This record gives sequence, C-alpha cells and structure tokens, in this order.
Amino acid sequence: MNRFLVVFLSLLVSSVFAYIDEYANLGEQASSIKASGKVFHESPSIIRKMHPEFLRHKRDKTLRQGIRTNEYSLKGCVSCHANKNKINNQYYSVDKQGQFCSDCHKKVGVSFDCFSCHRTVLREDLL
Amino acid sequence: MNKALNRRDFIKIMNATTTGVAIVASGITLTTFASVSETPVTNKKRWGLLIDTNKLTETDIDGMVNACQQEQGWGTEIRSTSSQKPGWIKKLKIKDKATNKVSNLALMCQHCEEPPCVDVCPTNASMKREDGIVLVDKHLCIGCRYCMMACPYDARSFVHETLNNQKEHMPRGKGTVEACTMCVHKVDKGETPACVESVNSEAVIFGNLYDESSQINQTLKIVQSSQIRADLNLNTGVRYSGI
Repeated sequence: MNRFLVVFLSLLVSSVFAYIDEYANLGEQASSIKASGKVFHESPSIIRKMHPEFLRHKRDKTLRQGIRTNEYSLKGCVSCHANKNKINNQYYSVDKQGQFCSDCHKKVGVSFDCFSCHRTVLREDLL
Repeated sequence: MNKALNRRDFIKIMNATTTGVAIVASGITLTTFASVSETPVTNKKRWGLLIDTNKLTETDIDGMVNACQQEQGWGTEIRSTSSQKPGWIKKLKIKDKATNKVSNLALMCQHCEEPPCVDVCPTNASMKREDGIVLVDKHLCIGCRYCMMACPYDARSFVHETLNNQKEHMPRGKGTVEACTMCVHKVDKGETPACVESVNSEAVIFGNLYDESSQINQTLKIVQSSQIRADLNLNTGVRYSGI
C-alpha cells in the first residue's frame, strides 16, 4: 500500500512541476509583454482553445480575399513567440523541440503541419 | 527634379509615421507591415501583364527570373533533378519557321480568366481570386498534380523535397504544387511584381486591365498584342506583343 502511495505522490509532484514550466518558452517578446501586464490576446484560455480556428479563418481570408491584416497571422505568432539562442544570437526554429509551438503541441499530443511550408526561423528585420 | 508627392509616397510616409507613433506609445515593437487592406478583393479589377518581346532582351529575362527567385525563394532545391526543379518563370525561345525570326519569351502562369487548373482540381486548392490572380491554396493541395497536366503553359511545378527558410510571405512545402502568384503579396500592398520591377525598360507593363486610365490598358489599345494559345479561349491575364 505504501508503495502505491509513493508512486501516487511522485506522480502528483511531477505533474505540478510539469505545470510550472508551462510558460518556460513563451518567447522573448511575449514574455516581456506578459511582464508589462499588457493583455495581448482575449485570454490565454480562448487563444489556447481557439487558435486553430483563428488561424484557419485568417489563412482563408488572406489567401482567397487578400486581407493581409496582422491579427491572428502566423507571422505575428512567430515574431512574438520566437526565442533566441543566447550563444550564437540566432533565432531557434519555432518547430524545434522545446520551443513555444512544438512544446505545447507535444504535451497535448497534437501534431501540426504549419511549419512544413511556413518559415520556421524569425527574420530579424521583420521585428 | 521637382517631384510632387504621389499617392504611394503619401501612404508610405503616413504608414511610417503611424507605425512610429505606435512603437513609441506602446513601448513594444510590434511587427510592422505596409498598408494593408481590410476589404476583400473584388472583380472590379483584373491584374494583367503586357510583355513586349521586341523590347525584352535575354538579359532582361534572366533578370526577371532572378528577381522572381529572390522574391519568392525558389530555385535553391538541391536534391531535385533538373526536371523536378521548380520554375515559376521560364525563358523560352521561339522561332518563326518561315522567317527565322527568334523571339525570347518570359513564360509564367498566364492567370487565365477560365483556368483549366481550377477546373480539374479535386480539392479547390487551385483557385482564382476575384481580381484574376490564379493561386494554389497549399492548405488544401494534396499534390495530385492534375493542375500541372491541365495547364497548357506548363506553368506549374511540384515541390519534391523538404524545404527550410522559406520566405515568410511565400510558404512553400514538399508535396504541393506552386506557380507564379503575380507577387500577390506585393500587389495587395499596392506594389508591382518583382519581375516587372527588375526590368528597367517599358518591356513589361503591369496593371489593372479594367482601368481605362492604366498604362497597360492604354498600351493594349494601341499596340498589337496576342495571347499564347489564344485558340483555347482562356482569356489570359498575361499578354505578349511582338510575337
């Protein structure tokens, strides 16, 4: 019985730690926006749940109707949630393991295909 | 030279100012874009090109191909064989057998009014925008390549390998079909396609075919021009004079 208790407690503790590092790779710009207290998205829970729909809506509008606004653009997501390698001062690919998009997708076990076509590395002069 | 401030410059300056103010006010550098339209494109416009093969030299065409590659990021495929490599715009030599006159053509997607590629596409990935620009929606493209077979101009190509560092305005990926987009991302901002910009002479004119006052409309009224394979009744957006 004690053995089960130990297993249960260790699982509980590890899940707490897993929850803590949820924002580990929010991205440099996104982190600074969050730190400044400015609310950028409606709410994290909405954007977490709805971002595929937002992106799908935006992609159709952009491609088929030529509405190239910034809102919900994948370029916008990447520019805010990209992280830089401190050593060589280069941006990481956003689909690389440990980065914002792939981190969360991996955690919830949902594959995503955006970056087989879309650029994965943030272009400096875009910022 | 005393140049009055035209509409484009005005928009550029206003845009820069607004962006500057936004940056200062919020303290956050947000991604900046040129002026963007929030209204869908309509069929009040139809974009087209007029290519004068008499004025267009071979160097010009090479320049156009290079400009297209630079702008859209194709042509760096290393694993594809030469027949697999994409070619959004091609240099074509045609010879009149009777007179031996050789013309050089820049051949790209002709942006047909009745595009065969759109007819055959099983997923609606091949599509024509309201303003006449024919595009591939790569979100829907399954890579069946029917459109490539249907196109009389051999304008479309297929991506055979995994790509990296695409241009952020032109997503390209393995397993999808692609072709000249008439630099739609630039056109939407009020700019002209990269290939047109690369030619210094008046050999390539871009503009709205429906606009009576546009240079392309004016020129088409006075010069002899033709469509390639006009017999197919596709009413192409790209026209040629001098052939």
